[in-house]
Amino acid sequence: MNSIHATLEILLLLPLIAGVILFFLPEKHLKVKGLTALAVSLVTLYYASRLYFSGVADEQINLVETGFLNRFGTSYIPVSVGSYCMLNLDNLARFIGVLIAFFSVLILLYSIVYVDRNKSLRNYYSFVLLTLWASVCTAFSDSLFMFIFFWGFLGLTLYKLIRGHDEESSAAAKKTFIMIGASDGIMILGIGILWKITGHFNISELTVRTSDAIRFCAFLALLIGSFTKAGAFPFHTWVPDYAKKAPASSSAYLPASLDKLLGIYFLTRICNDIFLLSGWIRLVILILGALTIIIAVMMALIQHDYKKLLGYHAVSQVGYMVTGIGLGSVLGLVGGLFHMVNHAMYKSGLFLAAGSVERNTGMNKLEKLGGLSRQMPVTFICSLIFALSISGVPPLNGFASKWIIYQGIIDFGKGTGIANQLWIVWLSMAVIGSALTLASFIKFISGIFLGRSKTSLKQVGEVHWMMWTPMLILALICTGLGVFASRWVIPAFFEPLAGNVSFIGVWDSSFISLLIAVSIILGISVYFVFSMGRFRRDEIFIGGETNRRDLGFEPTSFYETIRNFGLLRPFYGWAEKKYFDIYDVSKNITLKISHIFSAAHNGILSNLAFWVLAGLIFMFIFLLM
Amino acid sequence: MYKDLLYYLIFPGFIFISVAGAFLSWFDRKITAWVQFRKGPPLLQPFYDFFKLLLVKETILPASGSRLTFLMSPVFGLTGACLSGILIMLPALGLKSGFSGDMIVIFYMLTIPSLTYMIGALAAGNPLAAVGASREMKLIISYELTFLLVIAAVILKADLAVTVQDIILAQGEKGPFVGSLSGILLFIAFVFCMQAKLGLVPFDMAEAETEITHGSFIEYSGTAYALIRLTKYMMLFILPAFLCVTLLGGFRTDGIHLLWTVLKMIGVVLLITLIRNTNPRVRIDQAMRFFFIWMNLLVIVAIVLIYFGL
Repeated sequence: MNSIHATLEILLLLPLIAGVILFFLPEKHLKVKGLTALAVSLVTLYYASRLYFSGVADEQINLVETGFLNRFGTSYIPVSVGSYCMLNLDNLARFIGVLIAFFSVLILLYSIVYVDRNKSLRNYYSFVLLTLWASVCTAFSDSLFMFIFFWGFLGLTLYKLIRGHDEESSAAAKKTFIMIGASDGIMILGIGILWKITGHFNISELTVRTSDAIRFCAFLALLIGSFTKAGAFPFHTWVPDYAKKAPASSSAYLPASLDKLLGIYFLTRICNDIFLLSGWIRLVILILGALTIIIAVMMALIQHDYKKLLGYHAVSQVGYMVTGIGLGSVLGLVGGLFHMVNHAMYKSGLFLAAGSVERNTGMNKLEKLGGLSRQMPVTFICSLIFALSISGVPPLNGFASKWIIYQGIIDFGKGTGIANQLWIVWLSMAVIGSALTLASFIKFISGIFLGRSKTSLKQVGEVHWMMWTPMLILALICTGLGVFASRWVIPAFFEPLAGNVSFIGVWDSSFISLLIAVSIILGISVYFVFSMGRFRRDEIFIGGETNRRDLGFEPTSFYETIRNFGLLRPFYGWAEKKYFDIYDVSKNITLKISHIFSAAHNGILSNLAFWVLAGLIFMFIFLLM
Repeated sequence: MYKDLLYYLIFPGFIFISVAGAFLSWFDRKITAWVQFRKGPPLLQPFYDFFKLLLVKETILPASGSRLTFLMSPVFGLTGACLSGILIMLPALGLKSGFSGDMIVIFYMLTIPSLTYMIGALAAGNPLAAVGASREMKLIISYELTFLLVIAAVILKADLAVTVQDIILAQGEKGPFVGSLSGILLFIAFVFCMQAKLGLVPFDMAEAETEITHGSFIEYSGTAYALIRLTKYMMLFILPAFLCVTLLGGFRTDGIHLLWTVLKMIGVVLLITLIRNTNPRVRIDQAMRFFFIWMNLLVIVAIVLIYFGL
């Protein structure tokens, strides 16, 4: 018991204290701050994994009754407060805790070189540590009271990790803050309804049927919270804007990994622990999941800014997790959670790669880049692995988790409900989403790394080793999680979270990976045996024309055909006018309404006095009634 | 383990599929020659072509561009073709082994060759290759949904069985799926997807010799191109075999059934050869409309028919 207390003390307090101390240190010791933050995150990772691997005797921990809070001289706290200070340390929470600490370590390692003094955000390291602290606390909270506190705090750190240096980035930061803040407000409403109905605040004590309208509203309110945090349709619109304007390390840290982990973690909690879902709600969740996949990836196809392209994919992939968890079976849950982990791995890796490219070239448009594969070999290989992984190419990890979700969908089709009978729709949306993902990553990879090198990029070299090491680690993990998926990863990590799975199909990842390795070795030896010494280098052949530098077919123009495709053209037009952006739509409605009221506010004193008086009279009559 | 490796490398894997695919490629060329009133190549011509590229010709690398990616892409493509082939052939021949994959794994493996053609083409930095790669990708987007819907419909017909064995077993009980109204529609859609996957007329816009001088493969030569040719031979065997397994009742190798099996394969290849010899190349936007609207509609009608038991 005591060792758990000591561990918890470090996990729940060390990042907070370190973060606050770093906040007051002057900015000129940026490297020192970075190294301190890295050390703190390493300690957190060590204790989080100790907590995960050692296990706990008692999953629910009451911070007051067990005397945890009293040790800090706060013995006057009444015991009755205890029910608001419950921690839940079940397998899922501890697992999420380890992942949060792991990503913090990698991002901090990357940031030490990436975040430099003249362009830095103020108090970057401090806010990264505070994010780490709030995320771990969110994952461990059992009481919804504590949960919403830390969850809301994360919205603030998200806002502080983007630098508002021009109009567009300020607008992106504001949009993010307003959307996250509004969804938190709605969540508080939902928690209030839950408390009113059941009298409980703790996730472990809540089991609510979604039978009537008020319970359904509570469910919807919490769903909006998790969807906004994770970035699922229709509350996703902050993610692409944030990804475009924020520093790559911030995007890799929050929208790509931590927000996904927590959003999907909370979705799992509300779908499996708090509420018992009816068939109709499953249908709604599956429709939203399928729409998230398709809409976001269609938008990603036409992007020219590679960070924004990644931002749209950070949305699209959430659709798979939502679909998996919405299925409600063990297979779906394992698939959804596995995809969440995989997504965090490759997407933060992709953002780090994008950050490296942006830092070394200073460009953020795909058409200005090209041919960097020889100048930045490590970044290229890692990006290629991430890109193939996110597109679901076997045997990488993206395929492993998508495959489990597909199994879940087909298995789901054995049921009799209306959502079950539509399994072909969910399956086809998920698979075509995967093909479209491949298409946009062909654009990403070829736009940045392949193709002809631009003369303006001759001086570009590989990034510092501290920047490529995190990418390399993530790429190795992506490969490892895929290769050992069915033999080792699923039984060791995901079955304890969701229960034992029985697959309806077969995918022997390890042996097939071995066959792939054998084939590749044979393929390379074919080159060595048959064509060694018979290689010749020559200029490319363009039908006999002179090879002009400006002659080219840019990857950015690959998908103009799709954009101009009869059925899709109007939708792309409307999307660019932001007709589907819930933020802009509600902003316009609000501004229109306030415009009507502003007519009354014409600056003439007697008019104002009249309105004040009229209001007073109205209130007076209202109170008298 | 060693047995599995032998399965993979010799029979019914790599060597078997490539030799069979080479003969099918000869058959395709011979039929084409007859359609055009020519004599056609000798039986071993595909082998001459392959070994000339492998043993005699030099490999020219693009002066700028990523050479390692350029050379490794064909290797990965060949790997994907081998794996999809073995995953189809092992259950089709009823062989037990230490590894297997279901319909979805096969579906994904079958995309790998096209994917590597694109990456290889883009690595060269040739604008014509880039045009080819972009067409290839758009073609993949177009037919992938149709192909998946066909596979989902087959899974639905087999009462939600996802392994190749179970699908063959279900056809053993009910008769080949192509014998029903929905099965005929699925067969038509499958043949067009196959045509697009193999890059044959009317869907050969990614390599269009007369337009963009072989598009995706314009820069390839020597050993690297030999590997691509080998992948193409193999795909010419694998996709018809997949069609036989999913819709035509699978393979049987005992006695007279062996003849039927061979005739099934030759019949399917004859069909795609005749289609490619009697049609013009369509533009990419026409191909997209063809698959997005007409082929998907066809498969959706088939799925509705399956729900009504037809």
